Amino acid sequence: MSTIKILHMYADMLDLYGDSGNMEVFSYRCKMRGIECIIDKYSIDSPMPDFSAYDLIYIGGGADLEQQHISADLLKCKEGIAKAYKGGTFLFLICGGYQLMGKYYRDADGNDIPGLGLFDYYTVAPNSRRKRCIGNIVIKTDITGSPVNVVGFENHGGQTQGVKNPFGKVLYGNGNCSKSENEGYCEKNVIATYLHGPCLSKNPEITDYMIEYCLSRNSGEKVTLTPLDDKLEKECRTVMLQRLLKK
Amino acid sequence: MKRLQILIGKIIVKMLHLMKRNAGNLPGIVLWHISRHKAVSMFKVDCPIIAVTGTNGKTSVTNCIAQLFERSGKKIITNREGNNLDTGICSLLLRHCDMKGRVKADYLILETDESHVPVVYSQLKLETLIVLDFFRDQLDRNGEMETLIQKINGFCKTFNGNLLLNGDDPNTARLGRANPDNKNVKYFHAEPYDFATKTVFEASEGRFCPFCGETLEYDYYQYSHIGKFHCPKCGFGNYKPYITASDIDLDKPVFTADGHTYSPKLNSIYNVYNMTAVAGAAKIYNIRQDIVDSVISSYTVKNGRMESFMLGDRKTTLNLAKNPVGANMTLRVMNEMKGEKELLFVLNDNVADGLDVSWIWDINFSIFERVTRVVTSGTRAYDIAVRIKCSGYDQANIVVRPDLDKAVDELAKTPGRKFVIANYTAVQPTRAALKHYISRNGGKTE
Repeated sequence: MSTIKILHMYADMLDLYGDSGNMEVFSYRCKMRGIECIIDKYSIDSPMPDFSAYDLIYIGGGADLEQQHISADLLKCKEGIAKAYKGGTFLFLICGGYQLMGKYYRDADGNDIPGLGLFDYYTVAPNSRRKRCIGNIVIKTDITGSPVNVVGFENHGGQTQGVKNPFGKVLYGNGNCSKSENEGYCEKNVIATYLHGPCLSKNPEITDYMIEYCLSRNSGEKVTLTPLDDKLEKECRTVMLQRLLKK
Repeated sequence: MKRLQILIGKIIVKMLHLMKRNAGNLPGIVLWHISRHKAVSMFKVDCPIIAVTGTNGKTSVTNCIAQLFERSGKKIITNREGNNLDTGICSLLLRHCDMKGRVKADYLILETDESHVPVVYSQLKLETLIVLDFFRDQLDRNGEMETLIQKINGFCKTFNGNLLLNGDDPNTARLGRANPDNKNVKYFHAEPYDFATKTVFEASEGRFCPFCGETLEYDYYQYSHIGKFHCPKCGFGNYKPYITASDIDLDKPVFTADGHTYSPKLNSIYNVYNMTAVAGAAKIYNIRQDIVDSVISSYTVKNGRMESFMLGDRKTTLNLAKNPVGANMTLRVMNEMKGEKELLFVLNDNVADGLDVSWIWDINFSIFERVTRVVTSGTRAYDIAVRIKCSGYDQANIVVRPDLDKAVDELAKTPGRKFVIANYTAVQPTRAALKHYISRNGGKTE
């Protein structure tokens, strides 16, 4: 039996809008195919893990207060995470997790929370806490090799700028900044996005892309997954696409 | 100017009544605009005002406190229908004031939305504020919970009246420190019940001390983050309770508070908390013990809060769940019940629900026991179906029927015990669909 090892960071603090549900979806889709999925948790003051021993590192989103709490701890992990990422470990990052991998996050009071600087983008929160990008969102991504409409829910104050390679084009909603064209950031082993919902719940192709990536990397050859019955997930997405994209 | 505003308001109320429409909110909205957003400032209220706020339990506690005073022979004004924003309270007062805006009553007992406490009570003098709890609820409408608590905390900084707080909720208890000069801060508290746990069971918030940032330590959790907590560093949480519920036995159900045993009708731990708040309010106002007894022992709820129906001969319980805590409580009640059962979950994402439905992922469905089939309905019927499926429940036993009448038909098709969970805007349509089924196929309502 093949195995995928995941490190879920700060699950106890960064878990807004059902973000932990992504891990439930991920392990569900592994289990249905007989793939073992081991999810270890890391939080503040846990012993320093060997990040490179993991196939995937997952970080969810949190409120400003929680993000401040973890930022100093996350910086201690900088070297380990950077090494794992360069070695091909997949980084799956939602909202706060996305922001903190950039250069910095400037909060509403003008204080900078330094990011890990793995990527060039940076995030600035508006002065008013009321100005937030909130609502359903649809983006089109090509990360899996064929276009997929991804449906989720965004709620972020931060405006992320300097993104070189976005995760998708915005078809409905805001994206990286208010009313922007692009959403998130991606590489072949990185998905960083503002999409909650949780993100993977209605978008099985994205989960399967990550599972395939992890298995292919481990075995050294291209792995193709057996399809699952995704009737409910697809119908769920269709309902939202019809509602949001109809003119 | 104020008189003119009241006149306009009264005319609107009258017109709505003539049109046989409910004047619950609209008159207030009009006055909110013409009074430059100070919808309740034109009223003159001389009697004491008691406000109840919090995420869960406002309606129950407000109604019970209203009954305490009513049964004591007092004239009260209260927003029983739950119109709890400034505009709703304005509409209520418009119906009860004279042309000069004077409101005549012995007590005003007002359920007040969490985010509207500072708005309303900067304009009306408040005597007692009761805060029940803060949970993740409709996050996208209120902004993050911390912002909400900060708002109420700001109000409490200059408030010197009675402040009755849930001492087992760190999010609520922290308000007790907002104004160090307020000598009238009181906490209600409950000893552990049979299902209290040593570790946290459901998604929770407020893990850190709001004053020093240390991780809070818990002697026990009752549900979610509610339990006996304290901060090991700064001592937050070490207070002397004003009133304590103990000897809680939900099978009967009974509990004791201040040496007196109560037998409530509803058997949930959160009802014990609500009734302890009611007993606390009764203590503040010296309500006669026999009246407190009769209110707490007779209080039961309709409007989809553990409401019973018979769909033909199928016993059915409907419960409102606005957030994971409410839903988890219903699942627990369902699990603790013997025998097989089926669940209908109705999930809407209308504006009043909060457009975001991801809170369903904080519901712990993996505890399902003897649930033989699940029907889902509502505008987000598929979202809840996917969520239950991914918890490991066999999708062959999940039926999606977005149309509510069809969903109830589907649920009632098979014999046995039924449970229905509906979120905020789904509750009334669900009740209507259940009644509709009964009118066509027999059965009875409570």
